[in-house]
Amino acid sequence: MATGMRTKRVAKERQKIDKFGLPPGIELVEGNDLKEWLFDIRVLDNNPLYNDNVYRLKFVFSDSYPIEPPEVTFVDKPARPVPMHPHIYSNGIICLDLLGNQGWSPVQSAESICMSIQSMLTSNSKNERPPGDEEFVRVNRQRPRDIEFLYHDNTV
Amino acid sequence: MASTPRHPKNPALYTNRAMARLKLGHWESVITDCQTCLGLAPQNMKAHYYLAQAQLSIGDFDSALTNALAAHKICATTNDKSLGAITNIVLRCKKDRWDDKEKKRLRQERELEEEMLAMLVRDRDDMLAAESDETERKIIEEEANEKMQTLSKVFENARTQSLKRREVPDWAIDDISFAIMVDPVVTKTGKSYERATIMEHLRRHPSDPLTREPLSIAELRPNLSLRQACSDFLEENGWAVDW
Repeated sequence: MATGMRTKRVAKERQKIDKFGLPPGIELVEGNDLKEWLFDIRVLDNNPLYNDNVYRLKFVFSDSYPIEPPEVTFVDKPARPVPMHPHIYSNGIICLDLLGNQGWSPVQSAESICMSIQSMLTSNSKNERPPGDEEFVRVNRQRPRDIEFLYHDNTV
Repeated sequence: MASTPRHPKNPALYTNRAMARLKLGHWESVITDCQTCLGLAPQNMKAHYYLAQAQLSIGDFDSALTNALAAHKICATTNDKSLGAITNIVLRCKKDRWDDKEKKRLRQERELEEEMLAMLVRDRDDMLAAESDETERKIIEEEANEKMQTLSKVFENARTQSLKRREVPDWAIDDISFAIMVDPVVTKTGKSYERATIMEHLRRHPSDPLTREPLSIAELRPNLSLRQACSDFLEENGWAVDW
């Protein structure tokens, strides 16, 4: 019975953004349809890894949203690279417990996810991809939320 | 179509046929089937549910709401998966009933306005008929015009006032669906959610949405005063359903 919840819920999130705005460094680029949104995010402190760069996040809301998490990935474009991070694969897939079925909670929102990803970048100092990135990018055909990541590393 | 099923005591035969007739839009026969079924099985959830939809379609709002609430109550106690759909029907009944009342209220106000304007015109004409002095006549006309303008302004203000301040307070909103609540239940943290949506969440993940601590359906408690407050709010503000 979750169908039908998505439309209203996403529309209301959109209304809230229009009314109250978004936190600094987060911008809604495309949010007119109720299925797919694009955000641009920047890291605000002077972290040398991400200075001056803008990154683009794509949100896909399934009919079961917000009971299930949205699918969130980084888009790879010339002016919008995929940020370097030990939990972000070079094809844009993000390994973050909040985005998996286990770590997700329906009281989270598109805005709170953007903030989590922003702070995940802010606190990182490693200029590297996850171990096995090349292999993963080559063979993975699964939807991000179906991938069984092991959330073992709490240091970054 | 007015046939009696071969096993006239089996309630399911009537709800099955009612569902088919509901799809065809045969409201009156849906109502008969559901009432027969409820005569055999007063606690039949589907009969209340289909009955509510048929009554809503023919504009019998009070009965529709009564049956939708009856279906909701049965669903909530039996942990039925239709609770989400039933919650939506309850809201729809409240909204349509409010719309109907609101339409009547606006029409009454408009009729009152027209009646009062006509009275002012009559008054003015009576006075004009009794007065031959040109300056006096002008004053009568000006005064009458002014009164009519004020009257229209007062009514216009009342109309726009009721459209303003259309905002649902946060306490009435479910943090999962972002819709106004019909049957709020409270978790261990003290936070309330719509019963249908938190159940949907708990069926997949038995954890508190805020703290992620283990939470089972059996631990939910109804929040009766909040339920009453939401119901009172909807009574006056039916628009909130689609807000």
